[in-house]
Amino acid sequence: MIDKKITIEDLVDDYPFAVTYLSEKGIRCIKCGEPIWGTLEEACVEKGFGETQIEIFVRELNELNNLNQL
Amino acid sequence: MIDIQKTLQNLGIDAVNLGVSTGTEWFDTTGKTDSSSSPIDGKEIAQVKTATLEDYEKVVQKAQEAFQKWRLVPAPVRGEIVRQIGNALRIYKADLGALVSYEMGKVYQEGLGEVQEMIDICDFAVGQARLINGIALQSERPLHRLSEQYHPLGIVGIVTSYNFPVAVWAWNSALAAIAGDVVIWKPSSKTPLTAVATQKIIRQVLIDNNVPEGVFNLVVGRSSVMGDNFLADKRIPLFSITGSTSVGKRAAEIVGRRLGRTLLELGGNNAVIITPNADIQMAVMSTVFGTVGTAGQRCTTTRRVIIHDSIYDKVKDAFLGPYEKIGQKIGNPLTDGNLVGPVIDIHAVNAFLDAVKKVQEEGGKILFGGQHLTGPGYESGNYVVPCIAEAENHYHIVQEETFAPIVYFIKYSGDVQNAIDIQNDVPQGLSSAIFTLNVREAETFVSQTGSDCGIANVNLGTSGAEIGGAFGGEKETGGGRESGSDAWKIYMRRQTNTINYGAQLPLAQGIKFDI
Repeated sequence: MIDKKITIEDLVDDYPFAVTYLSEKGIRCIKCGEPIWGTLEEACVEKGFGETQIEIFVRELNELNNLNQL
Repeated sequence: MIDIQKTLQNLGIDAVNLGVSTGTEWFDTTGKTDSSSSPIDGKEIAQVKTATLEDYEKVVQKAQEAFQKWRLVPAPVRGEIVRQIGNALRIYKADLGALVSYEMGKVYQEGLGEVQEMIDICDFAVGQARLINGIALQSERPLHRLSEQYHPLGIVGIVTSYNFPVAVWAWNSALAAIAGDVVIWKPSSKTPLTAVATQKIIRQVLIDNNVPEGVFNLVVGRSSVMGDNFLADKRIPLFSITGSTSVGKRAAEIVGRRLGRTLLELGGNNAVIITPNADIQMAVMSTVFGTVGTAGQRCTTTRRVIIHDSIYDKVKDAFLGPYEKIGQKIGNPLTDGNLVGPVIDIHAVNAFLDAVKKVQEEGGKILFGGQHLTGPGYESGNYVVPCIAEAENHYHIVQEETFAPIVYFIKYSGDVQNAIDIQNDVPQGLSSAIFTLNVREAETFVSQTGSDCGIANVNLGTSGAEIGGAFGGEKETGGGRESGSDAWKIYMRRQTNTINYGAQLPLAQGIKFDI
């Protein structure tokens, strides 16, 4: 289960599809080949996304994860 | 072809390895067990048990205890231990070089080169151990002696990146050790096995010399365990961090909030200028290594080539031949003859492909490569054909550092200062180079109006620095300096001493304060 407090490193390692999803939203999880530090929420806030949008990202990421598990 | 199983055996790498050590002792941690795979063939190499917060706490306490003892060991004696570490690395150079290559993906020659850098910095540090020198100054007061000296600082946190998974640890820990500091190393989660192997290589030296447990610490852990809490830890006065500008900014903010020190070695956007006065053949051969070496994953990789418009077509054509040849030598970096290995993972491939796409969207033109390789020999999915793209410096994608083998060709006209202005017009400031046989152009390039980078070379490329010089850069590269020259000073605290050996109490500035 992904929540907004997940670290980007855990997200990249455990849910690699999230990198492409977030990249399409303008959030780069990987820089210089390494995951950036901090949480998903912090990465979103840095790019100017608000709480509502972050909740949508989290929901969609979990939906993608569920689809991947089917 | 290297027998990787034999290499792992020689280095003591098991199927499952402990990831936390205080020197000679290893902790059986309860953190998550992470797998390390090779970008070369995608196969799992081995697993590592990562740290918990409790493990981290134990290590910091051990490091604190060790510092109390280590700082009392005379610096030349500390240097002797570093000398022996260098010798141990000599013995394991071939094996560690092979593991660096297998876990990170660089060609074997570069893997060996990385271990050689470790040996070189140990040699440097041995000499430096006898030259931790302060200065004597002239006091304005009679019978007073004014001087400066350097003392050990404490615990140094070292955060390294996957592209130089062990050399950067050596740069920092060899100097920190002779300075009387102790280190806690957080290696990249992409290359934990090279870190485990290194820790095992130095173990016997630590035993033979009764080095206090806790001088050389390793903590393999995710950023949830070795992240903000590590940076915020007041017990660690200095952090040396190699990584992206993003990570560096975060680290500087967290460490700065408690007024700790940081040594940051962050992103680069390194350029080579080729003027009409260049030896073009030399410029091309040197620059090609800078653009494709380590599959474009060096901090000092050449990202931009700024070429005078009068020679642009000639230079462009001269690059295409070597690139065609290199295109035939992409593959398993442990195989003799291959010059370009994989990038680290599929995310790096995607970043590369994204850059290829973006530069075209912004108006650029692909001159060579840019493809993702598939099929026999490329099953891991991590191989790409190095790309040359014609671009303009102001493009967003050119202003960014893409950590992959893509280089942008940019034209300039007129005076060399125009090329220098283009070169400096990026957020980063790590490495730079000019190719010219004209002394005015060369001197302008290294002058105060020249390159704004920490490294400025003439008639050699941007990458492949020697350990003897200070390594680091300006602007978003972070401003830190590590390795040679006087970089050792950041690992120490500086103290000014005024000694009054007279019978009077004169105040500075001639102030009278008669009670």
